[in-house]
Amino acid sequence: MNISLVDKEIKDMELTVKAGDSLVLNLAAFDTFPTAKIRILVEKDGHVNASFADFSRGKGKFVIDVELLEEGAECNWNLSSLARENDDKVVDASVLHVAKHTTAEMNNYGITRDQSRLVFTGVSRINNGAKSSSTRQSAKIIVFDPNSDGRCSPSLCIDENDVQASHAAIVGRLNENHLFYLQSRGISEENAKRLITLGYLKPIEQYFKDEDLLKRIDNAIEEGI
Amino acid sequence: MSTLVIKNLHVSVGSKEILKGVNLTINDNETLALLGPNGHGKSTLLAAIMGNPNYTVTDGSITLDGEDVLAMSVDKRSKAGLFLAMQYPAEIPGVNSADFLKASMNAHREKPMSLFEFYRSVEKAYKDMGIPFEMSTRNLNEGFSGGEKKRNEILQMKLLKPKFALLDEIDSGLDVDAMQIVAQAIREEQAAGRGFLVISHYARLYDMISPTRSAVMVNGKIAVEGGPEIITKIDTKGYEWIKEELGIEIEKDEKPMSQQSIGICATHEATKGK
Repeated sequence: MNISLVDKEIKDMELTVKAGDSLVLNLAAFDTFPTAKIRILVEKDGHVNASFADFSRGKGKFVIDVELLEEGAECNWNLSSLARENDDKVVDASVLHVAKHTTAEMNNYGITRDQSRLVFTGVSRINNGAKSSSTRQSAKIIVFDPNSDGRCSPSLCIDENDVQASHAAIVGRLNENHLFYLQSRGISEENAKRLITLGYLKPIEQYFKDEDLLKRIDNAIEEGI
Repeated sequence: MSTLVIKNLHVSVGSKEILKGVNLTINDNETLALLGPNGHGKSTLLAAIMGNPNYTVTDGSITLDGEDVLAMSVDKRSKAGLFLAMQYPAEIPGVNSADFLKASMNAHREKPMSLFEFYRSVEKAYKDMGIPFEMSTRNLNEGFSGGEKKRNEILQMKLLKPKFALLDEIDSGLDVDAMQIVAQAIREEQAAGRGFLVISHYARLYDMISPTRSAVMVNGKIAVEGGPEIITKIDTKGYEWIKEELGIEIEKDEKPMSQQSIGICATHEATKGK
């Protein structure tokens, strides 16, 4: 099952991935930031690959909740988000491991510029009995300007011993050494920042297959940096 | 003909003065070996020439063909013809090597180069440096071994064709084969007329690239300048003769108490050498 949702099409919904099925969910926002909650229920050996390319503007909270209900269920989530000017965006990506041998990987990348605010939250929860499950979370935000605000608060909630879990959260300014290295090769400060930003946002494209949508994402990245 | 002139250069890191009045002139077609004990300011000099923001120039001047280098931003210095091969090249996540090379090569020209021209020159440079061309698709220096990073620095030097290349311990982390490749690349650039300022602790690299002059940095100043014979002298005798012949006391690095760690007698460390 392939679902591609753009801008207004992103709204509250509940999706079920039946036993043995797989779902590729491509979300892309260019206009207004979608305040919505998407819930995905995954049955036995079901796979979810969900990605969100977010270049939209505005305020709000987007929630994605994935429940790995039966054995072998798997979820991969990838987000690239750009916040600028007065944007104030919250993305909450959570996953619940109910059954044994379930796997989840949640990656959130963001850039916050001007006086915008970008917040990544999300809980990876492993229930008692969900043995041999593995859950990974990572969140990374680059804070570009003195008045931009970026926050990551991922959390792990684990009620089972036999699991693998990790999380990483990094919020930081552009690395001065990186800038110096690029500039020492003749690249202007502006261009150096552009290259680093590109390195942050571009990887989301690998999860999108639709040519037209890819072109729009590419344009949004170029415009945004 | 190009000349890099450093006059009475004072440089501080934080509140500590590292360079205390460096005077040095290098012409193109010259290779100057910069020697000296650790912690006496060799790397600081190179970083200050390139404009590393962690180093503050408090006095003195640097000029390249009469142009004020200190007034230039870091990228302008590169475009003016300076190149620094760093001792510890930064790993830059997300920045693709090929994109980076293209941006940096284009920054050095009026018109952006064609894709074909770019591809051809980069592929040749990778081949010359013995680096698999596939590595151009990887992120810049990320996951590169120490030797690969160093070769990648020289690769960039070849592509950017600077007037003066400053090499900060380019030979550390290189195995014998890689050393040959790097030395060969340096010799080719020497033949093309570039000036070099080279820091190394090993006579081995100097033997391969035959410096035309040498200078020894002690206590943040150039203590001695001369021909390549000084390299042999230091390689066999160390730095003690500087004290004997020139009466210059070589300052030892003092560690503040805050840098002591458990298991070391801090009092002993603090009073050592006094």
